[in-house]
Amino acid sequence: MKNDTNSDSSKPKKRRRDEEIEAESSSSDRTLSLEENLTFSDTLVALRIMRAQFPHIDKVSIRPFILQSQLYSSVNDRTQVDRELESLRRERVLRVFKLNTGQDDHAIMFLDDYLNQIECVVKRMEEKKQVNLEVFEWFQTHVLDSKLEPSVGHEELVSGSDCSLLSIVGKVKDEHISLLINAGILTRQLIDPDMYWFAIPNIGSVLKGLSQGRKEIISFLNRRKYKEMMLALLEKKHLRFSPLDMRFHLRDLIGSGHLKTIHTPTGLVVQISKD
Amino acid sequence: MWKDIGGREAGQIRPNSFANRVKSHRLSTLQLSNYKDIVSPHKGSINSLQVDLTEERYLLSGASDSSVAVYDVQRATDYEGGGHIAKHRSVFVVDKQHEHGHKYAISSAIWYPVDTGLFVTGSYDHYVKVWDTNCTRVVMNFKMPGKVYRTAMSPLAASHMLIAAGTEDVQVRLCDIASGAISQTLSGHRDGIMTVEWSTSSEWILVTGGCDGAIRFWDIRRAGCFRVLDQSQSQLGRRPPLLKRKVSISKSLSAGQNSSVKPRAPQKRSANGNGVRQSSVGRIPAKGSVRQRLHPGMLSSQDRATAHYGAVTGLKVTEDGMYLLSAGSDSRIRLWDVESGRNTLVNFETVRLQTSKPIQLATTQDPAVVFVPCMTAVKAFDIWSGKTCLTFRGHYEHVNCCCFSSQDQELYTGGNDRQILVWCPSRLISDGVDAGPMQDQDNWSD
Repeated sequence: MKNDTNSDSSKPKKRRRDEEIEAESSSSDRTLSLEENLTFSDTLVALRIMRAQFPHIDKVSIRPFILQSQLYSSVNDRTQVDRELESLRRERVLRVFKLNTGQDDHAIMFLDDYLNQIECVVKRMEEKKQVNLEVFEWFQTHVLDSKLEPSVGHEELVSGSDCSLLSIVGKVKDEHISLLINAGILTRQLIDPDMYWFAIPNIGSVLKGLSQGRKEIISFLNRRKYKEMMLALLEKKHLRFSPLDMRFHLRDLIGSGHLKTIHTPTGLVVQISKD
Repeated sequence: MWKDIGGREAGQIRPNSFANRVKSHRLSTLQLSNYKDIVSPHKGSINSLQVDLTEERYLLSGASDSSVAVYDVQRATDYEGGGHIAKHRSVFVVDKQHEHGHKYAISSAIWYPVDTGLFVTGSYDHYVKVWDTNCTRVVMNFKMPGKVYRTAMSPLAASHMLIAAGTEDVQVRLCDIASGAISQTLSGHRDGIMTVEWSTSSEWILVTGGCDGAIRFWDIRRAGCFRVLDQSQSQLGRRPPLLKRKVSISKSLSAGQNSSVKPRAPQKRSANGNGVRQSSVGRIPAKGSVRQRLHPGMLSSQDRATAHYGAVTGLKVTEDGMYLLSAGSDSRIRLWDVESGRNTLVNFETVRLQTSKPIQLATTQDPAVVFVPCMTAVKAFDIWSGKTCLTFRGHYEHVNCCCFSSQDQELYTGGNDRQILVWCPSRLISDGVDAGPMQDQDNWSD
């Protein structure tokens, strides 16, 4: 099974180079339509292509991330998506984060993108002359490596520092954890007061745009007479409240089940799904 | 169909696979029945349905207006539509007017597993009552500290007669019919308990799902639960791979397995006080600062692993006892491997599930289909791939419970619209009409 995943990951790389070039060139031409590229065969291919298609946001510097619901709409078999995500997560290719924008929202980011994001945040904190940045190194080298789940308990975080081989921090104290929370790398959610959740720093405004964009699309379609619209036309609409583009939102809403696509002789039609 | 029969006759198809082929064919043609109807006398939403386990003949339903009714699903009480439609009215109804009846909504009504002489009801009026079916009298009464969400009795029990009751209190209580008292309480959950199910492979194992999102396995002969299911521990496939073990980090503290080290561990912990060191003797990683000494069986109460991100609203153990299905208020359905305790990562495409009430799932064995009430429809999913096979839309409001009779391949569903609908394999109206008992005439001339 190990050999399979190795060869599997080398094939998409080749395919990725070709398709990424095609994607970049054609997205600049705006001829790449969502209708033709709605589904992919493999989770890793889908992840890489959607990462390449991530919209560029002006005010916030954020590395591309993919929502789990987007993957469900892009690959036919959901169980296969879950299992491949699990094996990619175990191989430390990507990380999964639980978002607080909905009941079951998860964001997926490649590990190198995530480390880049942390570096940007650390650099910004350095400019502000904040002390004690060794915590971030400890976090990157030890915590990210050993804790692969989206959440970590308070006890594990505190006790995990004992096994560190480097002598950076003797014991993780509460100030260190507050520093991580201030940077936006760890967060707490209402579910459990004793658990910390890994988070993507600087993502707040994007998440707000995400929920507003979702509401905007759903209300737009609800106001129409038959609650549906041709995908080709819907794609060209510009969203007022969200910095993310329409294609991102459509994949997300189709994958989470709020919208469904119907094949008609003139193309795909997007409809609000009842129930 | 005839080809299959010929093959069976010639010995090409084995008896089990022949039976399974017929059953799965009938299952794939399930639709709202056009020849069978159950007339429900209830004036409130139907919360629980169960067909008796011995003959699969009597259907027991419990509703929100404190009424319980029993229907005979194999023999109709009368016929309508020129003898085509069989109407099944209730054999008897018990409601609020009964001198010992429940006062508030009945959330769970189950048959005594051995025969249909007794049935057990649990209600929001904090009582669990055991009734004698023939006289419709209350035989036994158990008072619970909170609203009763679910009651369950083990279908395999040969040496005990315990009713497991899940209430809004954090403890599961086991009520004993033989003695008339509450014999055991199981603690470990941190919030109310919405579902309880007995294992179908052992008469001593109970599975409970709570509003805190945890699913716990209890062996009632011991204290404390022996397993807490964690959704982040997963395996890729139906069974864990033989060679690759221990890939993911296990953070759960399994209480039941290190029994030999138990007596040492609490003392070590209290000596260290706030210590975070790993005990050199014990194999249990120290869980940080422990305020009080816990009984070794209660160490699992500190395990806060969750199986769902919301409350667990439905549980079902498959008939072979190897897999567990759980539905949660995070609108996810998960399939767990009971032996290894891991999530098999099968993704069932559900958009929304009911969150406030417990729902009742139904499974079939060999076509391996699970029926789940999803809001106003009931969806049938293939267990191994998670794809939707069939969708049953017929109720006007939310569906709460469904029950599958494997003998006849019929599905009974009950919902908030006070109706019990029957879904049968399709049958042409012209053949299969047995003309009813009314037109039972001899057909020789005279």
